[in-house]
Amino acid sequence: MSQSLNLPGWVFWLLGLMLLGMVLLALVAVRRTNGIKRSYFSAPYTLWMVLFTVVPVLLIAYYSLTDANGAFTLDNFKNFWDSNYSVNQLYAQMGPEYAVLIQRGTVNIGILAYSLWMALLCTVICLALGYPAAYFMADREIKIGSTLVVLFIIPMWMNFLLRTVAWMTLLEDQGLINGLLKALGLHGAQLMYNDGAVLLGMVYNFLPFMVFPIYTSLTKMDSRLLEAAQDLGADHLRTFWRVTAPLSVPGVISGISMVFMPSVTTFFIPRILGGGNTMMFGDLIENRFLTEGNWNVGSALSLIMMILILISLSVLRKADPEGEGGGIV
Amino acid sequence: MIEQEHLIDLQHICKDFDGTTVLQDINLYIRRKEFVTLLGPSGCGKTTTLRIIGGFEYPSSGTVLFEGKDIGVLPPYKRKVNTIFQKYALFPHYNVFDNIAFGLKIAKLPAAEIRQRVEGMLELVNLKGYGRRSVDQLSGGQQQRVAIARALVNKPQVLLLDEPLGALDLKLRKDMQLELKRMQQALGITFLYVTHDQEEALTMSDTVVVMRDGEILQIGDPKSVYDEPINAFVADFIGESNIMHGMMVHDELVRFSGFNFPCVDEGFGQNQPVDVVVRPEDIMIVGEDIGQISGVVQSVLFKGVHYEMMIDAGETVFKVHSTIMQPQGSRVGLNIVPYNIHIMQPMTLPIDMEGGGSES
Repeated sequence: MSQSLNLPGWVFWLLGLMLLGMVLLALVAVRRTNGIKRSYFSAPYTLWMVLFTVVPVLLIAYYSLTDANGAFTLDNFKNFWDSNYSVNQLYAQMGPEYAVLIQRGTVNIGILAYSLWMALLCTVICLALGYPAAYFMADREIKIGSTLVVLFIIPMWMNFLLRTVAWMTLLEDQGLINGLLKALGLHGAQLMYNDGAVLLGMVYNFLPFMVFPIYTSLTKMDSRLLEAAQDLGADHLRTFWRVTAPLSVPGVISGISMVFMPSVTTFFIPRILGGGNTMMFGDLIENRFLTEGNWNVGSALSLIMMILILISLSVLRKADPEGEGGGIV
Repeated sequence: MIEQEHLIDLQHICKDFDGTTVLQDINLYIRRKEFVTLLGPSGCGKTTTLRIIGGFEYPSSGTVLFEGKDIGVLPPYKRKVNTIFQKYALFPHYNVFDNIAFGLKIAKLPAAEIRQRVEGMLELVNLKGYGRRSVDQLSGGQQQRVAIARALVNKPQVLLLDEPLGALDLKLRKDMQLELKRMQQALGITFLYVTHDQEEALTMSDTVVVMRDGEILQIGDPKSVYDEPINAFVADFIGESNIMHGMMVHDELVRFSGFNFPCVDEGFGQNQPVDVVVRPEDIMIVGEDIGQISGVVQSVLFKGVHYEMMIDAGETVFKVHSTIMQPQGSRVGLNIVPYNIHIMQPMTLPIDMEGGGSES
């Protein structure tokens, strides 16, 4: 199924040298300053980040630019553009008359477009549900607001896989909802294995990530500003549009990025609730790595997704230059 | 120039917050073009009174009249008053121009008129050319001016000011006091000003309202409040003072600090306990042998314009202000002229137990 780390020797040498360099730099720094500086306390975290984030990203870049034999190639990216590329390559090896036997395949691009579309829908729904909820909970006049916040947090203590599987028991043909419908003498409905079920699972899982940044930005707001707006003649509706809404933009942007990013890369929810009828980009990558064992194409797809995410992050950053909304951007 | 018409009338206003009484039976009228200051220590209810007039709080009982009409439950955006908030509450997402134009845009005035009025206001508050600046880039004093302009541009009947100068340094505060007074007179707007700074209150106001624990203790023009404080609390809060327990021997003679002093007060009865207040600047230092009493200079503090000396006269240590310094340890005589001795009902007897008998 999976493939072992068949990296050429020099990659390990490089990694070893990097680690050695870091240790040496740290030793030199300690000697120079004759003591322990506060920044040294970040060393474990830095090491962790290097080992488990920087190195893997570099490895993904390496795999995406090499073929199975470790030779440099851009073919992996061509696979994204034309999902039949590898097959055609095989045909081409059989002789010139077999070249480009199969039309360009748009499966991979289609899956990406579908993922982006689902993520967009999920983000819009989360915003439409989350903003009013956050607005309600942040209202100081409403005493149960802080209780509601806790109620929102409690489900998050449970693993999201479990919560997603729990939806199955609600939605499946013999599940709770259908059972209830039948008990009422109504026809059961096919609730699972469609886009709607996938979207439901995504919204359910990511909604808190929309609510909390908005909630934070609303509670952080100086209530005097609202009084000032009313003092200057603005009724509640105009106060909202001219003061509350603009000042909660950082929270909204943070919420959008915290929902949109994981939505694009979702891979578990579609499999559970979509039952393989729907495939998202995350599932595609997972397939390449684990089912096909093609780390090179999988890495290329991962890299493409990372670049897309970086682009959208920088767009969001433009809209919220101070990064006030929780610092995720 | 103050008109006699009552613009605002507070009648029997009470306010409770979760069972805690914040205001008790507040009765106050504000005349058109008057500069009224609510003065008192923090927690005395002065800001709550202001917020009730602004519409941010509703009274638990009582009536708020504006031009004779009850506005008790009218929301803030329907009132012809504007507020300058304690920390200005400028909109951080708007620049200076848009902050000032906020009220005019809400009122849907034509763009040309908005531009003209905002520019006029920027000139009035000495911020010409600052329209495009972000409010975060302004100093405290400049933010203060923007807040003033933002309120005044709407031509309110009444401007409510909630400790507007509290965050400024001393020099700037003094300048702004004069500036505000100048604007108030030039524009002919009624000002209701809240402060805990007695000097500010005395400098700017036509009428000072001294409050404590949700009640009004005294209403009067600055001079009468300073010269004729109704009780020891007002005397102590407004300006510095020597407060002594004394006894009214008979009309025009009071005994305190172990001596009898002639005074001008009458009607307290014979041998009645009273509180006596003497301002530090009203005690004259004279030669040791010609004073009514004598004492030893305990300490000397240089205060700029004057010296503050603590003079031990046996039973009482007097605080005395004088431009002439007496060396520490020297023996001096002290004289107090009769009309500078202020006599009032003792604080230990609550005023309302006297059956409203506190003379004004």
